[in-house]
Amino acid sequence: MARTLLFIALAAVVFVALPFVVPSYYVSLTTKILIFALFAMSLDLLIGYTGLASLGHAAFFGISAYTIGILSVKLRMSEWVAFPAGLAMAIVLGMVFALLALRARGSYLLMITLALAQVVWGVAFGWRTMTGGDDGLPGLRRPAFVSDETSFYFLVLALVAASTVVLVALIRSPFGLALQGIRESESRMQALGFNVWRHQFAAFVIAAAFAGLAGALYVYYNRFVSPDFLHVVRSAEVLIMVIIGGVGTLLGPAIGAAAIILLEDIISSQTQHWLLALGIIYVATTLFAPRGLIGLYRERFMARRKP
Amino acid sequence: MRASWIAAGLLPLMLPTTSSFAQQGPIKIGLILPLSGTFAPNGEDTLTGTRIYFDSIGNQVGGRKIELIVEDEQGRPDVGLTKARKLVENDKVQILAGFVSTAVALAVNDYAREKKIPMVLSGDAGANELTMPGPLYNPFIVRTSQNGRTPAAAAAAFAYKNGWRKVATMTSDYAGGFDTIGGFAQAFCKLGGTIVQEQYPPINTNDYGPYVTNIQSGVDGVVTFLPGSAGLKFVKQFDELGMKAKYPLMDIFGQIVYEPFLPQLGDAALGIYSTLHYAPTIQTPENQAFVAEYMKRAKRIPSDNGADGWAGAHAIADAAKAVDGKVEDTEKFLAAFRPDKFASPKGNISFDKYGQLIQSMYVRKVEKTKEGYANVVVESFDNVDQFWPMTEAELESYKYRYSELKGSMTNCAKVLEKK
Amino acid sequence: MIWVIHTLNGISFGMLLFLLAAGLSLIYGLMKILNLTHGSYYLIGAYIGSTIIAKTGSFALALIVAPLVVALLGAVMERYFLRRFHLQELPQTLLTFGFLFIFADLTLWIWGGDPIVLPKPAAFSGSISIGDARYPTYRLALIGVGLIVALILWWFQERTRLGAMLRAGVDDAEIAGALGIDVSLLFTLVFAVGALLAALGGVLGGPIIGAQPGADFEVMLLAFVVVIVGGLGSLRGALIGGLLVGLLDNFGKIFFPELALFTIFVPMAIILSFRPTGLFGRL
Repeated sequence: MARTLLFIALAAVVFVALPFVVPSYYVSLTTKILIFALFAMSLDLLIGYTGLASLGHAAFFGISAYTIGILSVKLRMSEWVAFPAGLAMAIVLGMVFALLALRARGSYLLMITLALAQVVWGVAFGWRTMTGGDDGLPGLRRPAFVSDETSFYFLVLALVAASTVVLVALIRSPFGLALQGIRESESRMQALGFNVWRHQFAAFVIAAAFAGLAGALYVYYNRFVSPDFLHVVRSAEVLIMVIIGGVGTLLGPAIGAAAIILLEDIISSQTQHWLLALGIIYVATTLFAPRGLIGLYRERFMARRKP
Repeated sequence: MRASWIAAGLLPLMLPTTSSFAQQGPIKIGLILPLSGTFAPNGEDTLTGTRIYFDSIGNQVGGRKIELIVEDEQGRPDVGLTKARKLVENDKVQILAGFVSTAVALAVNDYAREKKIPMVLSGDAGANELTMPGPLYNPFIVRTSQNGRTPAAAAAAFAYKNGWRKVATMTSDYAGGFDTIGGFAQAFCKLGGTIVQEQYPPINTNDYGPYVTNIQSGVDGVVTFLPGSAGLKFVKQFDELGMKAKYPLMDIFGQIVYEPFLPQLGDAALGIYSTLHYAPTIQTPENQAFVAEYMKRAKRIPSDNGADGWAGAHAIADAAKAVDGKVEDTEKFLAAFRPDKFASPKGNISFDKYGQLIQSMYVRKVEKTKEGYANVVVESFDNVDQFWPMTEAELESYKYRYSELKGSMTNCAKVLEKK
Repeated sequence: MIWVIHTLNGISFGMLLFLLAAGLSLIYGLMKILNLTHGSYYLIGAYIGSTIIAKTGSFALALIVAPLVVALLGAVMERYFLRRFHLQELPQTLLTFGFLFIFADLTLWIWGGDPIVLPKPAAFSGSISIGDARYPTYRLALIGVGLIVALILWWFQERTRLGAMLRAGVDDAEIAGALGIDVSLLFTLVFAVGALLAALGGVLGGPIIGAQPGADFEVMLLAFVVVIVGGLGSLRGALIGGLLVGLLDNFGKIFFPELALFTIFVPMAIILSFRPTGLFGRL
C-alpha cells in the first residue's frame, strides 16, 4: 500500500514537473502518450476485465473526434456543446455495437466489431460534405483556456488521471468484480443469478465512453480529424498496446501505449526500416514477455522476493 | 529539490537543444514524406529529386550548409503532424518540405501557419484550395508540384480539340479524385463537350471488371483518374474485356502510364494519352541531365515526383540565396520565392502571387521507342498557371466546388452554374 | 448478357477469395490461430511469383515454386514461434502482428513499392465471346482452378488418413494425441498447407489483385471476412463465403455504386448479427 502511494506521488510529481523541465516537443509527445494510455486502458476494461476482445475500438475514439470536429468546424458550435456531444455519440455507438455484437464470442466477436467499425470508417470516408472524406476535417480550434501546449497538457493530464481513478474504482467495485467473474466463467455467473448480458453491455458502453473521451482529447490535440482515426489499423494498434503492456492490468496498457509511441517516434526518426524494427520488437516481446511488460516486471519482481 | 533531481535524470534522455547561434548554423530542412506503405515510391522519388539538386550545389547556399532531415509520415495525417512538431520544435528546422498526401499537408497546415514555418509542397499534395484564396490558404505555403485541376484542364482541352464530345469518366472515389475530375468536367463543359457517364470505384478496389463492363457504349473516349495500383489494375481489365480496342483512353495525371508500369503493361498501354506537368522524354538539356543522374542513383526512370522534388530544392536554394542565407527572416524568405524563375527538368517555371508554380502541361502518348515503351510528348501547353485557361476571377465565379459535383457532372448546366 | 458477365465476375472473384481464405480457415479449425500474417503469405507468394516469371517467363514454375517457399516459411513460423503459444490467443495476435510488420518491411525492401500486376500465363491471356461481349479466359480458368482446389481439399479431408487425423484434431486435439496421432507434425503440416494456399492465391490472384505495399493487410481483411461469413474452420464455409462475398461485392457495386465501400462489411455485420458463428461455423 505504502509502495503504491509512493509510486502515485512520484508519478504525480514527474508529470506535473514535466512541462517545466523538458523541451516543448516532449510535452506534446507526452500529451499524445497520455491520450493513448487512456484509449488503451478503456480497451483493457473490455479485454482484460470482461473477457471481450474487440478489433473495432477505434470506432468510439473516432466517432467522438468526428462529432466534435463536425459540430465545431462545420456547424460552428461551442466546445461546451461539441465535447459532450462527442462523448454522447461514443456512448450511443457503444450501445449499438454491444446490441449487435454481444452474441458473438472469441474470434467472431473480434471480427464483428471489426466489421462494424469498418462501416463507421466507410461513413467517415464517404460522407464528404460533413467529414471532408479522406482529406479529413482541419481547422478545429482548441478552447481558449487550453490554447497553448502546456495548459492543454495539464487538461489532458487531469482528465486522464481522473479517468484512471474512475476505472480503478470501477474494477474494484462489485460491478467490476462481477465482470471479472464473467470473464472467468459466464455460466457460473449466470447460475449465481447475475445477468451476464447486462453486465457485458454496461462494460462495452463504459469502455466506449472512455475511448470516446480519448478521441475527444486527440481531436483537440491535433486540431483535425481524418478517417484513419477510426481505421482498423488504429484498432489493431491499441489492441497491441494492451497486449504489450499486459492484459488485465490497467497500468500495463498505459505503459504499452507509452512504449509503442516512444519506440515508433525514436526508431522511425533513425531508420526507414522502423516497421522491421517494431515487428522484431513485437515478436521478441511475445517470446520473452508473453504476459506483457507488466507481467515481465511482476515475474522478475516475484522471483527476486522468493527465498 | 525533487523536481530538479528529476530534471537531471530526464535531461540526458532528451536531444540537445540547438544553440543560440542558429544564424551561423546550417539551413535545416525537414522533409515529411511517405517512406513506408502504399505511397512509399512517391516519397522515395521526391526525396531522390530533392537530393539530386542539393548535391549539385554542394549542399550549400548563401554561405550556409544545407541539412536535410527526413521523416516518414506513414501515410497518416496524425503521424505527419507529430513529425512536423518534432522537426520544428526539436530539430529546429526552418523549412518544412515534401508532402505527398493532401491529408497530411492539411493536418500540418494550421500548425505551420501558427509557427510561421514555410511549407514547400514539393511532393504530390495537390488540393486546389491550398494555394487559392479561401479558408485553407496559407501564405507560408509554396507549391512546386501541381494542383489537381490543371492537368485535368489540359486533358479537356486536348480531348475536345481531337473531336471527343461525349466521354465516360472513371475516377477513384476520394477527395483528390474530385479535385481532378471536377476540373475536367468544368473545362470540358465550357468547351462544349459532355460527360455522359461518371463512375467512381472506391480506392482499394481489387476487381475493376464490373466498372469496365459497365462503361456506356458509344462514347468518344474514356477519361480516367486512377492513382496508384488502381490504374494498373483498371487498364489490364480494360484491355482484356475488349474496351481498349473500342475507346481511346485519356489518363489524367498519367497514373496508368506511370513509367514503372509501362514494361508490365506492354502493348496494353500503347496509344494511351495522358496529361501531366512532366515527361521523362522531354528533350531539354536540363531534363536529359536530370534523367541520367536519376537513373544512376535510383536505377529507375524519374517520375513527376522526382522532378517536383528537384524543383522544390531549387526554389528553396534560390530563395535562400536571395536573402543571403537568412532564411529565419520568414517574410523576406517567402517573398523571395515569388520572383524566382528557372529552367527545370519540367521546363521553364515561375511562381504566381499565391506561391503556386506556373509551368508547362504536357499531353503524352505511349509509343514504342528504341528504349522500349515510353510516354512521348505530343502536345504541350506552356506557362499554365493554377487558373488556366481561365482567369482567377472567372474560376471563382462558378458556384459549385468540385467535390459537390460528384454525381451531377453529366449535367453541364449545373457544372457551369455561376454564383 | 451483361448479367452473365457480372455473375462470372462475381464467381471468379469469389473463387479467388476462397483460395485466399481456405488456408486461414484450415489453420483456425485445427489450431485456433487467427493468423494475421495470412495476407503476408499472399503478398510474398505474389512477389516471388513475379520474380520467377520475370526471370524464366514461366507462370507454371511460379505456381509451383512460390507456394512451396511460402509453405516452408509457414512451417518455420509454426514450429519455432507459434508452437510455444498454443491456444493463447493474445500472444498469438501480437506475434503474428509482429511478423506482419516484418514481412511488410522486407517485401518493400526487396521488391520496392511500385505496384505489380502479374502477367497471365500465355494460354489464358486471351478472351472469348459471350454474346456481344468479351470475357477473359483467365477468369474462367480461375473458376476452374478454384473448383479443383476445393475438390482436392475435400478429398484430402474426407478420404485420406491424414484428413481423418485432421478431422479428429479439429474435434479435439488432446484426444487425437491420445489416439496416437502425431499432433505436432499435423500442426506444422496444416500450417504449411495453409500458407501454401495463400501463396497459391498470391500467384493466381497476382494478375487480378496484384502486389504492392498494403496488399497484405487488404487481403488479410478479405480472407477474414470470407471465413467469418462462412464460419471459421469450415472449408465448405470458406467456399460458400467466398462466392457469397464475391457476388455481393460485384452486384453491390453495380446496384448501389454509392455504397461501394460497404458492400463487404455491411453484409458481414448483418450475417454475424443473426448468426454469431457465421453460416457454417461452430464455436
